Amino acid sequence: MIQTLRRLFLTLLFLSISTPNLLAADAENKGDEPVIDVMGTVADHDYLKVPELINKGKIYLPRILYWENAEGESRVDFYWNTKSAIASGAFIDQDHVLTPADGGMIKMDFSITSHLVYFWASMGLALFITIMMAGRYKKGIGKDVEPKGALQNIFEVLFIFIRDDVARANIDDNKSDRYVPYLFTMFMGIAFMNLFGLLPWAATATADLTVTATLAIITFFITQFSGTKDYWGHIFWFPGVPTWVRAILTPVEVLGMFTKPFALAIRLFANMLSGKIMIISILGLIFIFAEFFGPIAGYGVSIVSVALTVVLYALKVFVALLQAYIFTLLSAVFIGMAAEDHHHDEENYRAEHAA
Amino acid sequence: MGLLAAGIGAGIVAIGAGIGIGMIGKAATESIARQPEAAGDIRGAMILTAAFIEGVALLGAVICILLVFFGG
Repeated sequence: MIQTLRRLFLTLLFLSISTPNLLAADAENKGDEPVIDVMGTVADHDYLKVPELINKGKIYLPRILYWENAEGESRVDFYWNTKSAIASGAFIDQDHVLTPADGGMIKMDFSITSHLVYFWASMGLALFITIMMAGRYKKGIGKDVEPKGALQNIFEVLFIFIRDDVARANIDDNKSDRYVPYLFTMFMGIAFMNLFGLLPWAATATADLTVTATLAIITFFITQFSGTKDYWGHIFWFPGVPTWVRAILTPVEVLGMFTKPFALAIRLFANMLSGKIMIISILGLIFIFAEFFGPIAGYGVSIVSVALTVVLYALKVFVALLQAYIFTLLSAVFIGMAAEDHHHDEENYRAEHAA
Repeated sequence: MGLLAAGIGAGIVAIGAGIGIGMIGKAATESIARQPEAAGDIRGAMILTAAFIEGVALLGAVICILLVFFGG
């Protein structure tokens, strides 16, 4: 076991040492492309980055395109990768964007991208772990006897934490357990997506606004569908205020319905994006200094930069889990606010009639 | 101009978020000192409020990033 781990570690070490050299050689050949592509490392791609030794560091992903050709005929085409789409003659590469050759337009791009792959991988991993653990609890391990192994102990701690401190603390007692599966899925999925982003070559799926917006939209719909009569009453006919105030309050409340999930999406997106950009920028300082003041300055700065990056990486592990927790917590708070049965309506009624 | 605006904007955003989170930290530590048995609840509320402030701050930061890359 330890032998295998040591071998794996050595292989990884070798890969991580050999990769920059290969990359540098590659950059020299091209010449025109910038050495540090900050946005390229956080953007979505039509390929998966892998170690340079395999397939020149890129595994191309299939393209599924729903497009309209020049005659106005809609069709769905499947290509194994971007190159074969161009080779088929139907598409051309225009500034790295796939465009129909005959002047038509792409209506919908269902292509499988790197962020989507990591989204699936994270959700699949969360599903796999949860089902595996559910099987154990069904057998009685953890219920009749103590939980076995580190994995199950960590799982139980996380699950109890989400159930007690997130769901039950924020949602009414008789309803809270209904939302635990959703909240736990979100927590595990986002945590894995964030943590995947810390691996070399991997992409952070949550540093993509489309991914976080999708997650926030799911929360939005769950919030609206679990809304009680009181919740809708508070939005459209706020109790206990004069009618003319309602003319101001109703638009604000309706707007509030949408700003909550919007802030949810932006928060996760910006946190993950800024972390990644920060690390690349600090590492990029080495190359900027080397470019302007010679290689000695580059070596000097690299000591500071690498030390700072190590600290930032440790911080990012914490932020990855914290952001997953915050997303889950705020989802629970929003759902709890909507699903709450108000008990203070009588007080309002009394206050209204006493005045 | 886009770069200048983004730089100034990011600075102001950092000031605002710094003041906000500082006030939360002050209030939270004071309340924990006053009532140590409620530390768990206070910490939860602290994280929640900090998340709200951070959300607004990051909204500003995203606009600054957009200015850098798309604002002429």
